[in-house]
Amino acid sequence: MDAPSPSASPTPAVTVENLTKVFKSGFTKKPLLAVKQLSFEVKAGEVYGLIGPNGCGKSTTMKVMLGLLKATQGRATIFGRDSEEVASRQDVGFLPENPYFYKHLSGRETLNFYGRLCGLRGAELKDRTEAMLELTGLTHAAERRVGGYSKGMLQRVGLGQALIHEPRLLILDEPTAGVDPVGSRRIRDLILELKQRGITIVVTSHLLEQMQEVCDRVGIMSNGRMVSEGKLEELISVENQTELILQDAPPELLAKIRALVQEAGGKSQVVSEGKPRTTLEKLFLQSTTQTGDGE
Amino acid sequence: MKNKILGVLLLVAMGVAKVPLEDRVAATLKAADLRDAPIPLSLQEAMGQMAFTAALGGLRSLVASITYLRAYVAFEDRDWGRVDSLMTLTTRMQPREAMYWDEAAWHMAYNAATSTQQREDLRAAIRNKDFRDYVLRGLKIVQEGLVYNPNNPKLLVREAEIYRDRLKDPRPAAEAFLLAAKNGAKPFYERMGAYELVKLGEPPDLQQAYEILKRHYDKGFRYPSVLRDLDILERKLNIPVGQRVGQPLPPSPQPRRK
Amino acid sequence: MSSASTRSAYTSFSPGRIWTMATHTVTQLIRMRILVFMGIISMVIVIAAFAFPAVSPEQQLKLLKDWTFGALQVFFVIIAIAATGLLIPRDLEDRTLYTTLSKPVPRYEYLIGKLLGVMLLLGSGLLLMDLVFSLMLYVKQSLIISSQIAALEKEQAATPENIAFIKDLNSRFGLTYSLHGAVWAIFLKASVVAAVSLLISCFASSTLFTILVGIAFVIAGQGQALLREWFLDKMSGFWQKFLSGAIAVFCPDLTLFDIAEPAIRGEIIPLGVLTEVTGIALLYIVGYTSVAYLFFVEKEL
Repeated sequence: MDAPSPSASPTPAVTVENLTKVFKSGFTKKPLLAVKQLSFEVKAGEVYGLIGPNGCGKSTTMKVMLGLLKATQGRATIFGRDSEEVASRQDVGFLPENPYFYKHLSGRETLNFYGRLCGLRGAELKDRTEAMLELTGLTHAAERRVGGYSKGMLQRVGLGQALIHEPRLLILDEPTAGVDPVGSRRIRDLILELKQRGITIVVTSHLLEQMQEVCDRVGIMSNGRMVSEGKLEELISVENQTELILQDAPPELLAKIRALVQEAGGKSQVVSEGKPRTTLEKLFLQSTTQTGDGE
Repeated sequence: MKNKILGVLLLVAMGVAKVPLEDRVAATLKAADLRDAPIPLSLQEAMGQMAFTAALGGLRSLVASITYLRAYVAFEDRDWGRVDSLMTLTTRMQPREAMYWDEAAWHMAYNAATSTQQREDLRAAIRNKDFRDYVLRGLKIVQEGLVYNPNNPKLLVREAEIYRDRLKDPRPAAEAFLLAAKNGAKPFYERMGAYELVKLGEPPDLQQAYEILKRHYDKGFRYPSVLRDLDILERKLNIPVGQRVGQPLPPSPQPRRK
Repeated sequence: MSSASTRSAYTSFSPGRIWTMATHTVTQLIRMRILVFMGIISMVIVIAAFAFPAVSPEQQLKLLKDWTFGALQVFFVIIAIAATGLLIPRDLEDRTLYTTLSKPVPRYEYLIGKLLGVMLLLGSGLLLMDLVFSLMLYVKQSLIISSQIAALEKEQAATPENIAFIKDLNSRFGLTYSLHGAVWAIFLKASVVAAVSLLISCFASSTLFTILVGIAFVIAGQGQALLREWFLDKMSGFWQKFLSGAIAVFCPDLTLFDIAEPAIRGEIIPLGVLTEVTGIALLYIVGYTSVAYLFFVEKEL
């Protein structure tokens, strides 16, 4: 799998232009405005995070990008193709939230089925299926019916089917929801690996923290609108503060630094001082050795 | 929304367009005798028939076979009223199935009638009346069956047999046998008709009987009963001795024919 | 990706994808234990063949045919409604539809694939049942002929004339090509019912709703011809006429496929009739599936 560099494809991977989606359900209920005048663009090769609370319109936006829903106004394109065209789906792999598959199929049959739908046949289909089983660590469970899979395993089959036809764009809806920290870590590692290969990724999450380290850019949605968008560092860095972390510093040195700050005068002041803490997640990852393969 | 409106329009357009085509296929089925043509019945009868069709769809034959089997159980229990009502239900469901009419008539005219005759708890006069009532009921059933299945040989033979065996009435028996033979019953039934004509004894009947039996004789059916009746006819019709082929029955043993 | 060039390029109509959907549907239905139905029907056939030795030989053959065709009609219409009703609403409920339709699969291919899968299952099931039935009927018929000839010989009436008559009668009431024609008509009927159920399931949201409405359509479809021929002329009230007219327009006439009864009676079903019946079935299937597509293409998922 040789990856073209992000710059090789000048057309943006995704554009969403003035997207508005209104749901009309039933005769008595009021129409529900899910997305309003939303616009954003995802460049090829980028990892883009769409973040926001539940019900903010993230999933609706994704479904429009996949042609599962029709836009009330505006449009979305995938590599220049209108998302309502079926052909635009050739370049997309989609992992839905809490994916669910045909219980009667085994893991291998599931991947085979989706591969065939994407036009894969014969030796290529076989190779891709095996490659996906390996990538997602499901080779040992390939013959088991999906009905007996755990949540994490379903997530991995979902990832396998999304990638089976080597799409240029991967859309992940809440990939880490309901997955334990080990699984979550693996998914984030995988996102980074896929990014290395040049695959564009759009990922939604309501768990902001987890997206920090993988996203190049994020868009924050609320009530169907984009409230903030940009590079992650820009969004989260506090412009007028500076962090300084010291190791093995004696109390005298710290006192000197405090004195220096006071001497400098002006607006400079020490806001906080203390010992950095490891995150609970890191602690969890350090103290659990479970790989997740044995599920 | 546009497509949905289009969908409804297409559904209606197809619905309107399909009706004449459905009529055409229905007509083809009728022409091939695969669907019951309207039967000249009273409105009430026709409505009843239609209700059955609608309610049971293609399952009438299955339901009929179930009521038929229940009638068979009732027959084994000698519950004649039940046999009659269950067989009526059966024939109503599949009126074009001659077999059901035939069996319904046989149950009444033979089984029920004979069984009544054997009841010793009844006075002779009552027994005879009941016997005749059952036989006439059987006759009525077979004749009703002939309305739905005109000229059906099986039903004509049953009718003839009831007249011959149960009512001892040779004329309608002969007519029914001959009509049955004309409509595809075994040739043997034509001879049965001839035997009944012999019983009548009128010259035109005898002449007709002679023609039938001589024809069968020439074809090689030279059974004792053919020879016996030819003997009688040749003498009564004064056939020249040289042309006579009949011979009286040998005294014993008498072969029996069903 | 570079290797994308080695696989078949996307086309807006792909028999390969439809076949993938269809075979997947067959696998799905088979693994839902739908084959149990076939086992039950086979048992009905075998029981019908040997359970009623007391009645007359003709009746024995008739019972075998009545029970077989009754069972085939009931079970295959039920399979058609239930199988189709289970497919799309279930895909929606389980959200498996998302993953399928987010692949390059046009929605009409999804629908055609599902219907084709159900029809494949119905067809192969009926073929299997026809084989079992034909075998049983043939065995039964041979047994009856030999026992009848033996009885004739006992009565010293085994003339060539009588034997020919018995053989002729049995061949008319035994296994005939028309009976296979009647099985084909059941396949057509079940396929039409499947197409109607597919249409219903495109605007229904649950399996139960699809199945119940499907059954209502089958009942209306059985009575439709009656309404058309009889009541439409004689009904007077506006609403009565309107309702009868609506049923006649929206429901298929399922009685057109009821040719088992005459076939059992020994009537011959000409090829021309079968062709016409097949033609109208195709019209129904294509028509209802097209309408289903127009509803499904706008479905918000």
